[in-house]
Amino acid sequence: MSNVILPVVLPLLAAFLMQPLARLSAGVARLAGPLVLLAGLVLLLQLWFAPQSAPFTVALGGFAPPLGIVFHVDQLALLFAMAVPLFTLFFWDWSASGGDDTQGRARQDALMLLLAASATGLALSGDLFNIYVFYELMAVASFGLVSLRGTGPAQIATVRYLLLSAFGSVLALTGIAILYAQTGTLNLAQLGQLAPATLQGPAGLAAFALMLVGFGVKAELFPVNTWVPEVYATAPARIAGLLAGLISKLAVLVVVRLLVVVYQDTGAAQLMLVLGTLTILFGEFAAWRARDFPRMIGFSSIGQLGIVFIAFSIPGPWGLLAGLAVALHHLLIKSALFSLANRWSGSLERLAGGARSAPVAAGLFVLLALSLIGVPPLPGFWTKILVLAGLAQEGSGLHLTALGAILLVTAIEANYLFRFATTLYRKSDSPPAAPGRRDVGAAALIGVVIVVLTLQIDPVGDKLRDVAREAADRDGYISTVYPSAQARAGREVSG
Amino acid sequence: MIELDFVTILYCGAIGLLLIGAAGLVMCNNLFRMLLALVIAEAGVNLLLILAGYRGGATAPILGFGPAGAPMVDPVPQVLVLTAIVIGVGVQALAVAVMVRVYRAYGTLDVRELKTRFEFEVAAEQGIEPPGSTEGPAGGRPLSPVPPRPQHGEARP
Repeated sequence: MSNVILPVVLPLLAAFLMQPLARLSAGVARLAGPLVLLAGLVLLLQLWFAPQSAPFTVALGGFAPPLGIVFHVDQLALLFAMAVPLFTLFFWDWSASGGDDTQGRARQDALMLLLAASATGLALSGDLFNIYVFYELMAVASFGLVSLRGTGPAQIATVRYLLLSAFGSVLALTGIAILYAQTGTLNLAQLGQLAPATLQGPAGLAAFALMLVGFGVKAELFPVNTWVPEVYATAPARIAGLLAGLISKLAVLVVVRLLVVVYQDTGAAQLMLVLGTLTILFGEFAAWRARDFPRMIGFSSIGQLGIVFIAFSIPGPWGLLAGLAVALHHLLIKSALFSLANRWSGSLERLAGGARSAPVAAGLFVLLALSLIGVPPLPGFWTKILVLAGLAQEGSGLHLTALGAILLVTAIEANYLFRFATTLYRKSDSPPAAPGRRDVGAAALIGVVIVVLTLQIDPVGDKLRDVAREAADRDGYISTVYPSAQARAGREVSG
Repeated sequence: MIELDFVTILYCGAIGLLLIGAAGLVMCNNLFRMLLALVIAEAGVNLLLILAGYRGGATAPILGFGPAGAPMVDPVPQVLVLTAIVIGVGVQALAVAVMVRVYRAYGTLDVRELKTRFEFEVAAEQGIEPPGSTEGPAGGRPLSPVPPRPQHGEARP
């Protein structure tokens, strides 16, 4: 069972061997990346479909926790770990133009592999130390990728993104330092054991707030998402899609693990709810105001992540189910939208008449937009209704405010998405160039998935409920890491 | 008692460094100064982590270093700090490298000026109206005064 570390180790190894390999043979180097990712995906799929699917842990290097570092493998971790190679392949640069610039090509592939490796590690990690390291690795890989175009604005966006992201890491590390000072451990399961006694006070909550904002930089959380419009306007659409769809979800996953295992039944969820509400309002209003397609869907992804944060702040399995559904739905939709944006960049006005030159792409856009807004038969409707029902069940003032905010932004969302759809279907003398066949194909693939999900919503929902129930089980998490939980509970805490 | 006071002072120092760094990041208008502020904040958090594992009068956590059975400081935060320092240096080097490129392209590291030129270049590339002001709200305010637009090819010394 310990081959679960291979999806992390293999891309990492391949990333570092990419340069010498490209010197030896350009063809092999170009094949290496997709093959490694595919191998990781197959391994994870085997685990997902394994007959006995109880969660288990892997102690890296054979050192037992809490001092050793563990990978905690449950269905939630596997789900996100599988999404990583899948969507990295989805956004892989398949273009054949690498012939003249082998080194640049190898560099880009190495960064993509580094991103995939660290993202997979982040999904599986059960230790804050490791989470911090993987998070930083992911950040460094993404800095390289967003400056890929090499234009002046891209460099400015990169440097500002880098400074903000590094400051976020400082905040997260401060939170980790406070946690360590309070409990004397970095292992999530042990933190969960010690939390009721040590982390109820303001210091514990401050640590969560710092980590929420720190990891929130990648998750596009409200006060720290100023990098989003700059990066999405200048980075290649593939990279923007990867950051908006996949990477943001992994940052959310880290926060959710902390919330469920360490900060259950504290004020932490309220904090997340408030920031989530501010995030959707900010994101959707900015999207409504945006004048170009990449930034419009970039801001709308901020809004969607706000809903994800709100959903996960609902306590219990219901919140996890709702959050999971919204997160996965957004992952699918945003990936497809950004692959359409690959060629459809530029102002909304310039894209007038796009339906004439690319009817399939325009039709796909309408389908995706309808699901994003949440029009009944499509999966987007079910995800939103889950969140709204959960909020209504909680019923406190904050929850109802969030509910109102979601309904309000749904109307805004409908307004700007339909406005763009009518622009696409308007008559125009100079219709824009059609998106590339590969981009439309990729988006169509996701469109098919959306339709299948619409028809199969029951079994998929049951499966997700299963995943959520397992992930919400804090005692289960702890006893998976420590089969004899009580014995180690009180490791001496230094004063 | 003196021991305790010393640690308290160090805690204050660590938190002070963090605050100085945060304030610098918010208030500076030069990219390089923002990076320096970041370095200060990182030093603060590293100190904080070391303090989290500190014990009065203990030796370094190396076997055979101090007398047998003597108390040692907690090694885990030290390992974490070591990692954090390495990562920090890497990220800072990367930041400086990108800043060199920005300076070569624009001849300035002033954030406000770079932001203005960024908005104009992106607007030109995307084919949208250039923003009247980066501070004010975008979009069509019908009666807004026309703000002076910065000159293009001109770089501030």
